[in-house]
Amino acid sequence: MLKYLIKRLALSVLILVGVSIIIYFLIRLMPVDFVRSKIDNLNQGGAILTEDQVSNMYSMYGLEENPTFGGMVKGYLNWLKALCKFDLGFRFTNGRPVSSEIARYMGTSFAIALIATVFEFLIAIPLGITAATHQYSIRDYVVTVLVMIGISLPSFFFGEVLKNIFAIKLGWFEIAGSLGATGSETGIANLPAYFSHFFLPILTVVILSIGGRMRMTRTNMLEVMNSDYIRTARAKGLKESKVINKHAFRNTLIPIVTTLAGLLPSLFSGALITEQVFNIDGIGNVALKAMNSGDIPFIMGYNMFLALLSVIGVLLSDIMYAVVDPRVKLE
Amino acid sequence: MAKLRKFNKVCMLAGASSDTEMVAQSEEIVRNYDEAELYEKRVQEAKEKEEQERLERLMKQSTEEDALDKNVKLMSPTRMVVRRFFRSKLSVVGLVMVIGLFLFSFLGPVFYTQWGEVELDKSGKIKYPDAPSYYMITEEDGTTYEVKMTVTTFQEDNMLAPISKSHPLGTDYNGYDILARLMYGGRISLIVSFLTVIIITVLGVVLGGIAGYFGGWVDNVIMRLCDILMCLPGIPILLIVGTVINSWAEKAPQLETYRIYILMGCLSLISWTGTARLVRGQILSLREQEYMVAAEAMGYSTARKIFKHLIPNVMPQLIVQMTLSLGSMILYEATLSYLSLGVKDPYAAWGTMINIISTKPDEVLNYFNVWMSPGICIVIAVLGFNFVGDGLRDALDPKMRR
Repeated sequence: MLKYLIKRLALSVLILVGVSIIIYFLIRLMPVDFVRSKIDNLNQGGAILTEDQVSNMYSMYGLEENPTFGGMVKGYLNWLKALCKFDLGFRFTNGRPVSSEIARYMGTSFAIALIATVFEFLIAIPLGITAATHQYSIRDYVVTVLVMIGISLPSFFFGEVLKNIFAIKLGWFEIAGSLGATGSETGIANLPAYFSHFFLPILTVVILSIGGRMRMTRTNMLEVMNSDYIRTARAKGLKESKVINKHAFRNTLIPIVTTLAGLLPSLFSGALITEQVFNIDGIGNVALKAMNSGDIPFIMGYNMFLALLSVIGVLLSDIMYAVVDPRVKLE
Repeated sequence: MAKLRKFNKVCMLAGASSDTEMVAQSEEIVRNYDEAELYEKRVQEAKEKEEQERLERLMKQSTEEDALDKNVKLMSPTRMVVRRFFRSKLSVVGLVMVIGLFLFSFLGPVFYTQWGEVELDKSGKIKYPDAPSYYMITEEDGTTYEVKMTVTTFQEDNMLAPISKSHPLGTDYNGYDILARLMYGGRISLIVSFLTVIIITVLGVVLGGIAGYFGGWVDNVIMRLCDILMCLPGIPILLIVGTVINSWAEKAPQLETYRIYILMGCLSLISWTGTARLVRGQILSLREQEYMVAAEAMGYSTARKIFKHLIPNVMPQLIVQMTLSLGSMILYEATLSYLSLGVKDPYAAWGTMINIISTKPDEVLNYFNVWMSPGICIVIAVLGFNFVGDGLRDALDPKMRR
């Protein structure tokens, strides 16, 4: 087990280095004067940067007169060294350190994703179970078709439809997602305002993600329902509800719990498009704005952050698999 | 001799217990024997006839729709798959949706020639303000007049026109015909996603095949590459590529024309991992099968073993994967277009047509025909491919037979 963990951790580091190489050299494909103008804008915008920091940035983002391959590698190593110390540089748009900016906007995204995930599981799992136990019945078809429509909806389109109907036409919810001037109160008193702002984005995320989870539950449940011990349970005269809830569902839980562990890091990554549609100050929306304005340090930092999250996610779900299912041995 | 043996048999059947009785009964039995033989013969004939009729019935049924389970042996595997596919209503609906969209996008502009993709409706219209303005004018002699002033503006472009005979779906914010743009936008979406899926499949089959067949360090290198690519966030990476392309576009304007193709090419470069893993897994298990040992013994070349014996066995799963990823590629393309990284400005793609609500929100939101119709097209396309893919999966999986 320990040996496996060490091996996996080493592999994760390798993956992260690979991802960082790809991201860095993608950024380096940008023309030099484009990046240089961004850095110059930063200083004109009133940010306080020392000569040292500016020259450091120049070499890090590859602004030498004639970029050579050696210079590129040097710039990459420079960036990587800073990366290891969680120093992601300063944002081009406001001069703040990227890592603290990521931490600042993570909270909103995390809250939305957490609530959405809870509802997703609460709705998708019972749906998957009924669809599996009533296989090929009307109920199965209706659930499958509805869920398929959910999968097929583009997030921006569905978000706009919800926003248009419930926020603009009916006026039930707020249009802009962030708590603007009304957000003066704190805590419980603010709950209705939070609800009004975040209901539609959460609904969008839930509807779009229910499909995958429900189909996974259904497939697993069907697999379990066909196994021998279910037949035994029925043969010894157990009630059908007991067969399903106690014998079948418990074994369906194994893959569900495993994916739950894998989901944990992605809670922090933010929903790029949904946040943009509802104009929420989450990390996804900020990243999108950063990409539109060419805020290179933030883009690089955000992408490395996402890669780190998904590496942790894969690792966690593998470990969880062995923890939940005693038949699995990690080697 | 044969008759005697049969006679004994009949005796036994008759249950004769002793010799004397047997002699006494023998005469009768001989007579009975003839009858028994006749009876047996009749039964045999009846059975044969029944069998004949059953076979005839089966043959007849095999040409009809519903007798699938009784005559499976008479069908080729392909035909069985086709039958199973068409038995599911959902997959038929999906197929109709997909074919309908293809006809709409590729044949539509042939019949709908009133408007082109980038043809502005220059018919124009006079625009009246919502409320006229009033002025009070006092003459020198003291009388006052109220003057009503209405300023009319003439718009050259017939923009945001309602649904009418000349514009079945109205016009958009710039005055382009929406129906025509839906058709041309569909071409872009479908072509781009097909190209992407083809590249993904070729890359996945070749790399996954190599990894699975050769194993060892080759397998290790390819699988680690897979791990790295799987940890790359899809849309954010594409946004970086989009930024890179845009930053070069000032120097090389033609880049913008091909932007969506480059972006989707990049997408296929990072998303072949799923296909590669599928192919590798299948080949790893197929490699151990006996027919592969036979192929080895026949001294076939490696290429022949891979492409003639292994790949065809992966085909079913591959086809399902391709169909399902077509749907997600359409979603990717639409999302990129929505984030204004799609086709160049005057040209249309479904996502670009929805993009208008994020740039000019207040006015356009009330014109449902402008932004709902491309959204519905996207949903139909993705849903259609998902239904077909699901139906194919069930049809190709022999365990799913019910």
